[in-house]
Amino acid sequence: MDGILKLEHIQKYYGNEGNITKAIKDISFSVQAGEFLSIMGASGSGKTTLLNCISTIDSVSAGHIYLEGTDVTEIKPKSLARFRRENLGFIFQDFNLLDTLTVSENVALALAINKTPANNVEPRIMDIAKRLNISNILDKYPYQVSGGQKQRCACARAIINNPKLLLADEPTGALDSHSSQMLLSTIQSINEQLNATILMVTHDAFAASYANRILFLQDGEIFTELHKGNDSRNSFFNKILNVLTMIGGGQSHVC
Amino acid sequence: MYAKLIFKNAKCSVKDYLIYIVTMTICVTLFYSFLSISSRYYQPDIGSEYDFTLLSDGMKIAICLITLCLLFLIRFVNNYMLRHRQKEFALQAIMGMEQKTIAGLFFAETFIMGMISIVLGIFLGAFCSQFITAMLLTSYGKDYALTWMLFPDTAMLTVGFFTLSFLVVGVFNTRTIWKTQIIDMLSADRENDPELKKSCWIAVASVLFEIFIVWASVAGISKAVFYYDSRFALPVKIMFWGNIFVPAATLLWSLWRLIAKRKAVFYTSLPVLLGFSVLNAFMAASVPLFTNKYYLSWGTGTINQYMMFILIDLLFFICALVYLTGNFIIAWKEKSPEHRYNGENLFFFGQIISKLNTTSKTMTLICITLVLAIFLFIAAPILTGWASGYLDVRSMYDVQVFSRYNNVYEEKYLPNDDYGIITDFLTGHRIETAYDCTFHLYLPEKADFGNRVKYDFPVAAVSLSDYNTIREMLGYGPVSLLENEFTTHWKSIATEEEKDSFLAEHTSIITDAGELALAGHSYYEETIGETAYNSYTDVIYIFPDSVCEKLLPVMQNRYIITAETISYPYALELEEHFTAEYPEQTDNGVSFGIRLSTLQINSTKAGNFVLQASMLYGAIVLMVICLTVLSLQQLLDAGQYKYRFSVLRKLGVEEQHIAKLILKQLGVWFGLPVIVAIVVAAVIIVYFIHAISTEISAYIGLGTLILQIGATVGILAILLVCYFISTWILFKSSIRNTN
Repeated sequence: MDGILKLEHIQKYYGNEGNITKAIKDISFSVQAGEFLSIMGASGSGKTTLLNCISTIDSVSAGHIYLEGTDVTEIKPKSLARFRRENLGFIFQDFNLLDTLTVSENVALALAINKTPANNVEPRIMDIAKRLNISNILDKYPYQVSGGQKQRCACARAIINNPKLLLADEPTGALDSHSSQMLLSTIQSINEQLNATILMVTHDAFAASYANRILFLQDGEIFTELHKGNDSRNSFFNKILNVLTMIGGGQSHVC
Repeated sequence: MYAKLIFKNAKCSVKDYLIYIVTMTICVTLFYSFLSISSRYYQPDIGSEYDFTLLSDGMKIAICLITLCLLFLIRFVNNYMLRHRQKEFALQAIMGMEQKTIAGLFFAETFIMGMISIVLGIFLGAFCSQFITAMLLTSYGKDYALTWMLFPDTAMLTVGFFTLSFLVVGVFNTRTIWKTQIIDMLSADRENDPELKKSCWIAVASVLFEIFIVWASVAGISKAVFYYDSRFALPVKIMFWGNIFVPAATLLWSLWRLIAKRKAVFYTSLPVLLGFSVLNAFMAASVPLFTNKYYLSWGTGTINQYMMFILIDLLFFICALVYLTGNFIIAWKEKSPEHRYNGENLFFFGQIISKLNTTSKTMTLICITLVLAIFLFIAAPILTGWASGYLDVRSMYDVQVFSRYNNVYEEKYLPNDDYGIITDFLTGHRIETAYDCTFHLYLPEKADFGNRVKYDFPVAAVSLSDYNTIREMLGYGPVSLLENEFTTHWKSIATEEEKDSFLAEHTSIITDAGELALAGHSYYEETIGETAYNSYTDVIYIFPDSVCEKLLPVMQNRYIITAETISYPYALELEEHFTAEYPEQTDNGVSFGIRLSTLQINSTKAGNFVLQASMLYGAIVLMVICLTVLSLQQLLDAGQYKYRFSVLRKLGVEEQHIAKLILKQLGVWFGLPVIVAIVVAAVIIVYFIHAISTEISAYIGLGTLILQIGATVGILAILLVCYFISTWILFKSSIRNTN
């Protein structure tokens, strides 16, 4: 079965002729609709570069990326912004909320940019706010709420347009462990209840353990792949730790 | 090592320093070019009849006063640079450099940049001073040729002034760097907009306004008590009552709000107060207008008081309007979901509202300063046009001697003299006369001699032959009259209605020599000078010579036109000589006066030029300050904007939309104060022009006025466009995606 997202022999080089850095050497994989995939790897393993290529923020040096059959590497630069807003949702490590707008306006902005009719906007915000438990902070400004609430607001903004693919770049990076846990449960429920396809980049084994499948990157290549299957999260977490030890970083890579 | 660092830094951050250098260069250029005409070495060819020292002293003082405003700008731009570089300073501090050294380095850098701008500015100033010379020579009626000259004393003064200001500002900067915590410097870039908490300055302004309103109502009541008369025309009555009731209503309404609704009383009542301030301004504005129109008898003190009331009303209007603009936008946003949820509008509203809320005080100050600048720009040519137009009327004759009988109560003391002292002086100095006319002004009826009430002064008469001699002197054709006829001659300031009603009432007049009928050609209005009329009148009668012989002569004048212009020292000497013999107040009540065109032209032109140059200089300085502050306010937050626009990009907003948003944002930012200022300034100017419309049509002419206003608006527009475009380019480059 073909996945919703398919990467074929992606390569990404930086630098000029005499001095080339291969950020991604050769990566191919596919993601099924409704899957929660996590990509792990040490710093410099190429995971953020990979995410940037998928999100069309960066271009690939070679290879193809297909999202529902569309080759995103072939899209003209002019149409990229439109493609992003119609197909992708983003969650960033540093939230990327606008401090001039309230929480509800931050979410509404994503809808408005996507040309949602004005009378549809507020009901949809109410609906998503209830699901993500941010109804009580809708009228507050980002600087008035906690980090976890900010990130849930960013989640709401990312999924309000029902994107085909939700990309999360270290979403728990700026949160304490309690907030991380809550956020990850939220992401998991988005995945399960809304059947959203999620691709999350992280170097945190605990965060990765919420995913169904994990790809481990090392030096720009896929080192190995881990399926959760019917394992409990705890045993999956232990498996992840084992792989990380195998990669060579030992326990120092765990957290 | 440090020296190397300074130069390297300065070289690398030329782009950052661009705004600094440009602003400083503009300041230096303006300073130098306007000051250059007061240089000792500046000797423009304006002719021997002019004395130039009159001008340069006035100029020096005016320019130095206005330039004090520039200090504010220098400090502001320095603050901008300081904030811009704070992160870098933090890094240097963390690496172990002492804050003292960092401050020293920054000081040295800005000082080098300052010196560069001084050099650039002086060269540009030498170029720009050509325009000032052109302006000067035009106002003295001479041709001009471009000359290139650097005035050492002006250059020294410029260098001295700016070096001193850089040093002073530098000391402040050094202190700021010393005192700032490293951690604050580090996070300076990431600082969010302060919370959307409104500052309380508007509350203070409102309280001051209420106090002023109390004063205005008291003034209204006292004016009514002292001056009200039930015979006044209806508009005047409305004016009297309006000036009591409108301030009183404002006051009562505020009190009622305060008592009835204690909570949140202030912010909801501001729009109503705004309306009241407009009404109050209207009422106050009617006072000077009606004073002219209906000849109300209060003095200039009252008019000045009401002028000040208008000013205070307008100031409060601007404060409240700018403050409320943010609220208007919020209300509009809340009320219309179609606009709110249309594309990137939410983002746009957020940008504007957060900026307006945090900078409403600056914005108000900018608006007020812009109003002042626009007013100065437009009023300068009007006032100088008025003064020089008036000069032409006053200095029609090279020597003009006149007398007044206002304080003479016995006929034997009336002046009867041919002023021979002037003839002696002119022959003594070998000045030939081309025309010379000594003549009397008569009273049609002897009985009117005792009339000394201001509005009852009788119209004087001149004999036909004397009148024709004066006309010949000025190059007008002669006039003829039949035996029992008379005609009239009018001041150029008199209006058509005045003439018509006067002539309708005076188709025939009774004189001591019998009744005279108005001639077919009933009036003449060529300019013949201000001294040919009786006090407080705008008209004289022209009677046949035979009639005048039987009338009472009350004043005696002498007009002379010389073959060549009298030089400045001679003119001074003649004036002194004459005044010693014929003082302004004599023991028997006659007052004499002499006007020499050389002296009048000299003092008026010098005064005019100082007035015009300093008003224009002031206007440009204020304008530059406003626009620089506006532009820096936007660029100052470039760090935040870069982040916000990058979020938009990530959300999938196209670059064209972002470009449009930037243009919209800058448009509102520059547009709001400019539009408010233009509207308020337009109202003031229309009022101003209306108040002196007679003088404008008499001495300037409407065509010239429109041309002058057009040129002014053109200069304003060019300045605005230059600033807008450069801010736009810098803004775009500062938020460009560097990924």
